[in-house]
Amino acid sequence: MKKYWQIFKISFQQEFVYRVNFIMWRIRNVLQIFLVFFLWDTIFSDSSKVIFGYDRAKILTYVFGLIIVRAVVLSSRSIDIAGEVSRGDLSNYLLKPFSYFKYWFTRDISSKTLNLIFATFETFILYILLKPPFFFQNDPTYIILFIISLFLAVLLFFLILFLFNLFPLWYPEQAWGPTFLLLIFTEFLGGGTFPLDILPTFLQKIIYMTPFPYLLFMPIQIYLGKIDVRASTVSVLTTFVWALFFAFIVKNVWKLGLKAYRSEGR
Amino acid sequence: MNSISKIHKYIKIWWLMSKNSFISIFYQKVALLIFLTGKVLRFSFFAMFLIFLVKGSKTLAGYNLNQSVFFFLTFNLIDIFTQFLYREVYRFRPLIISGDFDLVLIKPMSALFRSLMGGADVIDLITIPPLIAAVFYFGHSLSPTPQNVFLYIILLLNGFLIATAFHIAVLALGIITLEIDHTIMIYRDLVSLGRLPIDIYKEPLKSILTYLVPVGIMITLPAKALIGLVSFQGVLLSFIFGAVAFFVAKKFWDFALTRYTSASS
Repeated sequence: MKKYWQIFKISFQQEFVYRVNFIMWRIRNVLQIFLVFFLWDTIFSDSSKVIFGYDRAKILTYVFGLIIVRAVVLSSRSIDIAGEVSRGDLSNYLLKPFSYFKYWFTRDISSKTLNLIFATFETFILYILLKPPFFFQNDPTYIILFIISLFLAVLLFFLILFLFNLFPLWYPEQAWGPTFLLLIFTEFLGGGTFPLDILPTFLQKIIYMTPFPYLLFMPIQIYLGKIDVRASTVSVLTTFVWALFFAFIVKNVWKLGLKAYRSEGR
Repeated sequence: MNSISKIHKYIKIWWLMSKNSFISIFYQKVALLIFLTGKVLRFSFFAMFLIFLVKGSKTLAGYNLNQSVFFFLTFNLIDIFTQFLYREVYRFRPLIISGDFDLVLIKPMSALFRSLMGGADVIDLITIPPLIAAVFYFGHSLSPTPQNVFLYIILLLNGFLIATAFHIAVLALGIITLEIDHTIMIYRDLVSLGRLPIDIYKEPLKSILTYLVPVGIMITLPAKALIGLVSFQGVLLSFIFGAVAFFVAKKFWDFALTRYTSASS
């Protein structure tokens, strides 16, 4: 545990080494929120309007909730794994007395902590600037379920990202492609650009059969109370099952991948 | 060398460099397939979202479904075309960091041309024909007059000119600050705000997107011209803006070259 705490601290400090990179990344996050915010703000210019089951307060809370949930769930360092595998740098880690899996999970947690701090600050500034109506959830059951769903989403995203980053074990020249594809799925099917319940029911049903809605969309739905406690619990359990499934897949793919790994570039 | 033969020479060079770039991408067929799929999916997902959204809300800032989709398609046309032509900008930083830019400077051709257009992207090229077909289809559904079509085309060209100016400015900034990757991505994020008509934004963001980062002039104005919503003064001002932006960017590039240190070479 102690060594992972050290990894956490070092990783946290490393983020400050590339300050410009970090600040630019945060600016990009805010810019991406602008489009979504003003889009919904225009559609709900009449505050009494209810479309797709959302009123103005709930939809703008969804947009603001995205800043926080994205910072917690999507910010990660493990996106660099594919590059390390491609360059053969993975060999360095295999010789060290720690778990490669736990090493990257710790680094991800470190990145999420820093991003959460900044995202909270940005949300506060944007809230003052844009003055949106805000929906505050005061039912403790929903708040607890939201927090649990967020933790599970963190774990699930880490497992999926880890899996996609193992692709270069077989194809070292393909470091970025699979991750690029994954991020597009996460962004759109995860509810990062729009809430999924604006889509027709048959499309929603298909999307809910994938793990992506449980990363961003469902945690915010739980917070907003748009689904009842029973459905929220089912959502949390589904996320847990997806996490177990991907843990199993990652474990086996990792084992197989290490046999295929040729340490090219070393 | 007269102007015609100079243009001929640069077309020949561009074709040679693009051919090399295409061959290197075709060599990695899996990557080509993955990135092409990713780009098509990203486009399709957003288009799908826009269609369901406008169908549900009936209108978007006063525009109907076909008009809203046309704004989105015009954004993609400018964005994809500039990415196709100017992909080399994304590879410029290593040249500056390593000092290999020296090798570009000593060649008997414009260093700006090489840095801007040295590696066209075949993945974007593949997506251009269906995109033009979609622009034609949705544009036709808006029943434009020949005059509107003419204005749309020349304002689109003006939009490309402004996009070119931005890419030149990013390169120049890269020489001075060694920072390219984030600058170009922030530029793209800002331009992405033009996926929808800038009428949806409130002040001061709307003015910023019209005059400071002219997403409005680049994307919204051409689409509005086809719908028949622009004035003669608006068109004239946008051309002046385009010409000034290009001139300033070129001057900035010339200045940046004087600051190139050739470090690490």
